Amino acid sequence: MASSTAPSPQPASGDQPGDPLSAGPELVVRSQGLDKIFPNGFQALTKVDLAVDKGEVVVIMGPSGSGKSTLIRTFNGLETIQGGHLEVLGYHLDADNNQKVVSKIRRHVGMVFQSFNLFPHLSILENVTLAPVWVQKRDRQTVKKDALALLDHVGIREQAHKYPSQLSGGQQQRVAIARALALSPQLMLFDEPTSALDPEKVKEVLETIRALAAEGMTMVVVTHEVGFAREVADRVVFMDEGTIVEEASPQTFFTEPKEERSQLFLSRIL
Amino acid sequence: MAESPRSSPRSRQLLLRIRRGLFASPLDTLITVVLAVVCGGGLWNLFHWAFLQADWAVVLSNVRLYFNGNFPVSQIWRSWSWLGLLGALCILTLMPSRLLPPVVVRLLPLLWVLILPIGLLLLASGLGLEPVKSRFWGGLQLSLLLTLGTILMSLPLGILMALARRSSLPLLRWLTTGYIELMRGMPLIAVLFFGQLMIPLFLPEGWTLNRVLRAVLSLGFFMAAYMAEDVRGGLQSIPKTQLEAARSLGLSPLLTVALVELPQALRTALPALANQCVASMQNTSLLAYLGLIELLGISRSILANPDYLGRHLEVYIWLALLYWAVCILMTSLARRLERTLKVNGHH
Ligand SMILES: Nc1ncnc2c1ncn2[C@@H]1O[C@H](COP(=O)(O)OP(=O)(O)OP(=O)(O)O)[C@@H](O)[C@H]1O
Ligand SMILES: [Mg+2]
Repeated sequence: MASSTAPSPQPASGDQPGDPLSAGPELVVRSQGLDKIFPNGFQALTKVDLAVDKGEVVVIMGPSGSGKSTLIRTFNGLETIQGGHLEVLGYHLDADNNQKVVSKIRRHVGMVFQSFNLFPHLSILENVTLAPVWVQKRDRQTVKKDALALLDHVGIREQAHKYPSQLSGGQQQRVAIARALALSPQLMLFDEPTSALDPEKVKEVLETIRALAAEGMTMVVVTHEVGFAREVADRVVFMDEGTIVEEASPQTFFTEPKEERSQLFLSRIL
Repeated sequence: MAESPRSSPRSRQLLLRIRRGLFASPLDTLITVVLAVVCGGGLWNLFHWAFLQADWAVVLSNVRLYFNGNFPVSQIWRSWSWLGLLGALCILTLMPSRLLPPVVVRLLPLLWVLILPIGLLLLASGLGLEPVKSRFWGGLQLSLLLTLGTILMSLPLGILMALARRSSLPLLRWLTTGYIELMRGMPLIAVLFFGQLMIPLFLPEGWTLNRVLRAVLSLGFFMAAYMAEDVRGGLQSIPKTQLEAARSLGLSPLLTVALVELPQALRTALPALANQCVASMQNTSLLAYLGLIELLGISRSILANPDYLGRHLEVYIWLALLYWAVCILMTSLARRLERTLKVNGHH
């Protein structure tokens, strides 16, 4: 398994206290000069600087292949970084991705994928309770109650005992959101959560994410939904060819983008 | 009068269908006629032989031997009760689960694992019963015991090897790959002979292992290689995104394997694994050539009795029927399992 890399000793750099989370960092993500080079030598990210504050909603946009997915996948250790500095919830990530650190981060960072990625052999309810029971080792009965409440929240409580294949795409994606929320994350990552959905299902999923933003969840959302970005984002980050080209408030970005590449991109999607 | 016009469309339809299916063209007609003559002739000869020429005494007066082997007659109830338990378990498993109390349904997998140790206890000694040496075990009972033992050993071993084969430790990977390729490259009969000779060499000083256990070990080691390949196929069919989802939820590599990968891989591999189980049953017959008196072995020893001189055909037809019945039973059990898992939503 790719994730079974040998744990490397974490450098005792002083800024790694027992549990950084208890300190409640205001900065949820801090990346400086971040480089990502894939094993085949392709450099997907070059010197990316990005900071995400607590409670902030950051929307990442950019053409296909610009490195949006790669960037947010480094935030929960699905991709290692080859250069620069990355800190998530006070934990440092590096080229080796210390297994202990990564698993701690993953317990506090939820991720939602374009293709839902629900577990087909588990019921909706089991999909949601899996991680709390096995990762957080919480009591089954409480977990079940909480999971049902979460499913109620995203509007699929009635389907709790069905299996993923019996649900529509929009419903599956809302289950995926509930599954990520079941770990009470402090940061939610969304990778094009509505791109695989029929147009009429997009709205229900965006509504769910919007509600989450209203509750103050810190989120990084890769999406091309301009309406959503305008209303919900605190900041829009535009990427191209593995770098951040422009970073601005939604109003500024959508009405008067500074960079030529942003203008070109917006002229295509607006 | 009113009847005939109403019934005729139906019978005409049937006639039409027969005509279209069997006599559509001159060539079709020819093929149909030739096949009918050949099959009819064959069946006629078979019936003629079975009812007029065959002497079924070789089967009928040896039923006990075919089922229980040379098990001491005074203790034979033990052999029958195990066969009975096994049969009951099959019936329970095949019954629609809504007819059974939920407790029983949930206990079924455990019962299937326990049926082998129960059999060993009942047949060997345990429970304060008079010990019966394994050389008295035989017949269908021994074949089933060998089959169950092989499956219960090779399935977990196969799963472990499938996992080891994609381990990040090169040595482990090479060893398992080498082992699997070696086993798949050898004829089973050779593995069985090796097993009888080699296994004692690996045992600590003063230990012995009876022939039945040695046979199960060899069969198990052999089948495990095939099972490992089937499980590996199942593992490979799982999309990468499933693993990413599991990892982003914080599941450790071990939990990911146990909760996400294996359940899906085993479902995919189930038809292939079921096939291997049926093959295991048929493979036990090779042990007749190593002197075990399982179903084929006991039949050969019956045929060696001068009373039954030349009654090979009767015996082998009877054997074919028995093996066939057991295999049908096994495939229906497998299909039953497949259906249960399908109901629990999969793709
Ligand atoms: N495992 C990999 N090995 C090599 N190159 C990769 C790998 N994964 C992604 N890439 C490359 O990295 C670049 C960035 O990919 P990424 O998936 O982050 O783009 P994206 O912005 O999310 O695009 P999209 O909008 O199509 O999802 C692409 O050129 C892609 O081909
Ligand atoms: Mg992407």
